[in-house]
Amino acid sequence: MSGEGDYLRAFETPRFAQLAPNLIAASFSLMKLLPARFMVDRAQASGRLKRGGRIVETTSGTFGLAIAMVSAVRGYKLTLITASTLTEPKFTRRLERLGATVLTIDDPLGDGNQRGRLDRLKQILGANPDIYWPEQYDSPENRLAYARLVDLVVRSFGQIDCLVGCVGTGGSLCGTGAFLRALFPDLRIVAVDTHRSMLFGQPVGRRMLRGLGNSILPANVQHDMIDEIHWVGALPAYAMAHALVRDNGIFAGPTSGAAALVASWFARNNPETTTLVIMPDEGHRYIDTVYNDEWLGTLSGWPCPIPLAPVQLERILPGEETSWTTFAWRRRTLCAVLAEQDE
Amino acid sequence: MARTGSSNRHDDKRNASGSAFKLSRPVGVGHAIAHHGELLQGVFEGQDGRLHRGLLTLPLPSQRSHATFWPRREAGIRTRPANRTKAARAVAFTFEHLGIAEGGGDLTLESTIAIGHGYGSSTADVVAAIRATACASGVGLRRSTTCTLAVAAEGATDAIVYGDQAVLFAQREGFIIEHFGDEFPPLLIVGFKDPDANPIDTLSLECARYDAEEIELFRVLRALACRSIRQQDPWLLGRVATMSSRISQRHLPKPRWQAAVELAQDSHSCGIQVAHSGTLLGILLDAEAPGASTHAADLVGSVRRAGFADVQSFALNAEGMMVE
Repeated sequence: MSGEGDYLRAFETPRFAQLAPNLIAASFSLMKLLPARFMVDRAQASGRLKRGGRIVETTSGTFGLAIAMVSAVRGYKLTLITASTLTEPKFTRRLERLGATVLTIDDPLGDGNQRGRLDRLKQILGANPDIYWPEQYDSPENRLAYARLVDLVVRSFGQIDCLVGCVGTGGSLCGTGAFLRALFPDLRIVAVDTHRSMLFGQPVGRRMLRGLGNSILPANVQHDMIDEIHWVGALPAYAMAHALVRDNGIFAGPTSGAAALVASWFARNNPETTTLVIMPDEGHRYIDTVYNDEWLGTLSGWPCPIPLAPVQLERILPGEETSWTTFAWRRRTLCAVLAEQDE
Repeated sequence: MARTGSSNRHDDKRNASGSAFKLSRPVGVGHAIAHHGELLQGVFEGQDGRLHRGLLTLPLPSQRSHATFWPRREAGIRTRPANRTKAARAVAFTFEHLGIAEGGGDLTLESTIAIGHGYGSSTADVVAAIRATACASGVGLRRSTTCTLAVAAEGATDAIVYGDQAVLFAQREGFIIEHFGDEFPPLLIVGFKDPDANPIDTLSLECARYDAEEIELFRVLRALACRSIRQQDPWLLGRVATMSSRISQRHLPKPRWQAAVELAQDSHSCGIQVAHSGTLLGILLDAEAPGASTHAADLVGSVRRAGFADVQSFALNAEGMMVE
């Protein structure tokens, strides 16, 4: 029992990389193991999850992989619900090898059909109320799991002045940000999203960059914690991911590229502050795409130079996949910002 | 009971080598220091993955309890002052631990520590009594053993057995959750209490029940305490103490905590600490900052003017003289 715990604990622990004298990256193999393990631990302790019981979640991404690893090791059954437009055969094979049942829902509109996935999930829960649903989008436990990241950061680096990270569920940025800000009240929190994600007030549309952004609004996104928001297109994110490999030997996913792009710019412009950037996963899943010149060559706008600075927006508008924009959010609620935009 | 893990080992040793511990001295002395509440108190994950109640004590070395013990070859332990039952129990448990069957004697406690305000007067008596008993028996005790005996005698203890070493200590179980690995950063402390606060019987207090968010907050506060001690940074430690006192306000609120926070904010201070189960408050200053002792002296004045009582300033791990 403690053996498996140690392995998962090691797997969820980031390696720290000094990207610049004042910029630290927390580089994860699989960040979502933090919330997956934390939530399953708490569900076990509270009795919500019985020995040998079943877990269900809607996910197409790394939270599914993480909870599949925890379920395999702890002997839980797992059902993951995804959409036909989001499945990747290699990734699905890996989930199934871990023992997960992957249900694929039709996606006629091509938007991920989150509503259809949730309907199916609730149907399953309705038929068997003993099944445990972690609710990574809305459960505050997702955010609480990131105290462990702050523990590691603070022991190694002490005071942090600025936190940069991507937003998908909001768990990692708002969780890490809340604990860091409890220690360092002046902490600046910089959110990274992508064009046509609805999280920070853009109209929803087709998104090329996966692993961040959302077409629904999770409760774990706490807008009034955020000082500034950046929308990074897919191509600058890919270009920066390549730079991380070349310059630092860090083979990370494209969301890490987006986060590192924003964080490097912030650190350059604020030499007196110490910035921490969260880089959530490794690049293996993207070897046929983001790290494949043939695939990249089919994209309009590629090759894309790494932009030096974002375009400052006064009005929130979607940009091209080659662009990088920012807006001064100033710790306001989504309603407050949208009301101002309507004026 | 004080039946500790190592007592059997002592029994074996006694049987093997005769009455090694019976060569008692005519008298033994021991002392223990007070503390000024805690820099951090909450629940923390141990090596076993379970949660333990724990604390980081702020030592107050200038106040002490001195114990003197005269062994007699008859049962029964008399104390002076009379009826110090916990200290008497600590003597009995120490004898039992050392394998001395017919241990008895007279214990005198002389203490400069005020009772009931969170200075750890009771624990200091118990620890001094254990040390005096061991001394009279011609035996040295490990600090961890002393803690186990103190918990047995009292139900809980604090980390004053470890003097000015910074340790995260499980006060109800008597073991160290984490050695922060060094002494405290250089601090000047202006300590005081609310004059309207009544003495508190620490052990009769109900334990605080922390929620999941607080438990995770304790995880990061523990990390910052570790960093501050490793780096000898009083400012980071001040943040830990302030946040811990803020959490404590939700569980055992101090009526004038906010007033104390405001005094701390105006005074070049690193933060504020409290006795989590007592009535003490303290404002922490960086002892090595320019003008620190002048700031401390000014602060003593403003704390008095604000109507707080028992105002005192003391240094921890700092060089030089205090300005009064």
